[in-house]
Amino acid sequence: MMRRTIPVMATLSAVALALAGCSSGSGSGGADAEADGPITLDYWAWGTAQQPMVDAWNAAHPDIQVKRTDAGGGTDSSAKLVTATRAGNAPDVAIVEYNTLPAMIVAGVAADISEHADGLEEEFAPGVWSQVTFDGATYGVPQDAGPQALTYNQAQFDELGIEVPTTWEEFADAAEKVHEADPDSYITTFAPAEFGGFAGFAQQAGAEWWSVDGDTWTVDFDDDASVAVADYWQDLIDRDLVLAEPLLTPEWNAKVNKGEVLSWPAGLWAAGVLYGVAEESAGDWAMAPLPRWDEGSSAVGFQGGSAVVVTTSTEHAEAAAEFARWMGTADEASAAQIEQGQYPASLAGQELTLESDPPLLMPQQKDYWETAAEITRSTIPEISWGPNVNVASSAFQDAMSTAVTDGTPLRDALTTTEAEVVEDMETTGFEVTQK
Amino acid sequence: MSAVTDPPTLAYRRARRRWGAPFLFLLPAALLFVAFLAIPIGYAIYLSFRGMRMAGGGPFGVRQETWVGLDNYVAAFTDPELLAGLGRLAIYGIIAVPLTLGLALTFALLLDLPRVRGARFSRTAIFIPYAVPGVVATLLWGFLYLPSTSPGTWVLERVGLGGLDVLHGPMLFPAVANIAIWGGVGFNMIILYTSLRGIPADVYEAARLDGASEWDIAYRIKIPLVAPALVLTGLFALIGTLQVYGEPTTLRPMTSEISQTWVPLMMIYRDAFTRDNLSLAAASSVALALGTLVVSVILLRLTQKRSFGES
Repeated sequence: MMRRTIPVMATLSAVALALAGCSSGSGSGGADAEADGPITLDYWAWGTAQQPMVDAWNAAHPDIQVKRTDAGGGTDSSAKLVTATRAGNAPDVAIVEYNTLPAMIVAGVAADISEHADGLEEEFAPGVWSQVTFDGATYGVPQDAGPQALTYNQAQFDELGIEVPTTWEEFADAAEKVHEADPDSYITTFAPAEFGGFAGFAQQAGAEWWSVDGDTWTVDFDDDASVAVADYWQDLIDRDLVLAEPLLTPEWNAKVNKGEVLSWPAGLWAAGVLYGVAEESAGDWAMAPLPRWDEGSSAVGFQGGSAVVVTTSTEHAEAAAEFARWMGTADEASAAQIEQGQYPASLAGQELTLESDPPLLMPQQKDYWETAAEITRSTIPEISWGPNVNVASSAFQDAMSTAVTDGTPLRDALTTTEAEVVEDMETTGFEVTQK
Repeated sequence: MSAVTDPPTLAYRRARRRWGAPFLFLLPAALLFVAFLAIPIGYAIYLSFRGMRMAGGGPFGVRQETWVGLDNYVAAFTDPELLAGLGRLAIYGIIAVPLTLGLALTFALLLDLPRVRGARFSRTAIFIPYAVPGVVATLLWGFLYLPSTSPGTWVLERVGLGGLDVLHGPMLFPAVANIAIWGGVGFNMIILYTSLRGIPADVYEAARLDGASEWDIAYRIKIPLVAPALVLTGLFALIGTLQVYGEPTTLRPMTSEISQTWVPLMMIYRDAFTRDNLSLAAASSVALALGTLVVSVILLRLTQKRSFGES
């Protein structure tokens, strides 16, 4: 505290300077844009699967070389993309999470690649494809998919004699059993900052937070479905049956390792993340379809998953689109992805998983990829994200965290979030109706 | 004729050269000042009157930067979170500033006692935390605070007392302030200690001859004489408090209690980068900078008469 004597302005001046000297508007790779020589594309992507994929591309395409930069995970990377686009030094290609793609379009980061997208649609399931098409235009090539599933500690479940829950009601009963058997153990965590996770649960229940009709947006975060989901978790928190704290903290990791957190309902990528924090418990875990809200419907939402977008700053739109298409659809790319535990978005890639070994976290679960394919087939076909998911996500995080720490109703946090989202959209000039 | 006219011309040239020299020497500093302070500040102020608005229709229309007048200032000042953030800052400051300065002064006075033992070792030991980067220090303390990784909790549980989760509930403010105090005491202690060493020894000698105890010397001579240094460190502490950012940001992933708007700078960061609203962030920054300036001037006005002996 005492050491920072530089005035506040200095913080801002760095930003201002970055923006001041940047009217040239030239994309990166300008020096390589000679007519004949190979061109170099700059590519921003996070995650362990990316470098092997890029290496495979570079080996096969001597004329279009790709240089990958890890600009941080989903939130950081998209924040930097917006700033870099304004500064005129954005990369040519970048990974963007599905739910932030609309914000990237509105911010002028993601380019319309419809003219390079011939025949691309058939490569993907409709639910996945709808994540990258808006208003009839295509803005990206899906790369990985994160349909929600239940990753659980099978060893602990067996020891306690708990059946894998197939409905959320059974999940609540199981939560009770777990906590009764050991007061330090919880079936799962309700992390108030997990916007994507809650969005998935709500979508599964039938919520539609943003919808667009003509030029008018409808925003509805506290519809009956979302409120029901909030009340469900509220009940579990109130009865002390779930842990209400952030995920992936040293604290949480320690509890997972001790076997005190028994499951994580999240995107399919959860297996990779859990392996990172609890490598020693590999073999104890398994994956099952997410519990359902009612017996009839098995549709689940997505949590995470991302697309490769071509930026508006690129000078090599065609080459960039070709690379994006390859990353989303080529077998070599999918193979590299699967090896790192990512679930490919393309149908061909998903086919390829059936011949692969299960993820490192659950080497004993031979039907892992079959289950994954089954879950993916039943994802909700149309999920529309609004143009300011960044605002929604930050408002949601603070509102939910406050609700959990102060003990106020979770459902009120949804209303607070909706108010902030609508206010932001109105200020920006969108036509919005609030439900 | 020429012999008559030459000398005045020479004198004139010399005079002009002398007149131009200061400006020449000022130039590098002035250029740096303009490039790295004046222009960015001007740009930030300009930016605070701009905003991203929809250009043309369509649900996915692209936004463009336009003039929005005082909209950003209105939005900043009507947001209850900014005020709440300043409130949290005040609680934090009330804990951190007096404790840092108090401990720094105490240590400095103790080290300045005659015939004190292990002075060099103690001085280094107290100073070392300042050399630990803020983020590292915060992570280190974060691990000590979290019940599952904290040796403190381990010990407490062994002796039969429950664990202590300081990152939740009323202990949060002292926990965050503690990190700043731990890191800041050494720096402030060195400033005060250096200032103490600058006091001529004959002042103490005279006091001792008059029968003053070490306590009297500390209270009636040392503290008044290091008052200018105390004001300086106080000012640094105050400005530092208004700029708290690193500690709560680093601790945020570990607790739900620290929001993205916990302190004003965190809110500015969120608006600028998470919410892509650079203009609102610029407006809040201008307001916060002006506030800091006003508070600093008031503090100096209130203290300068007494500590610097100016009338």
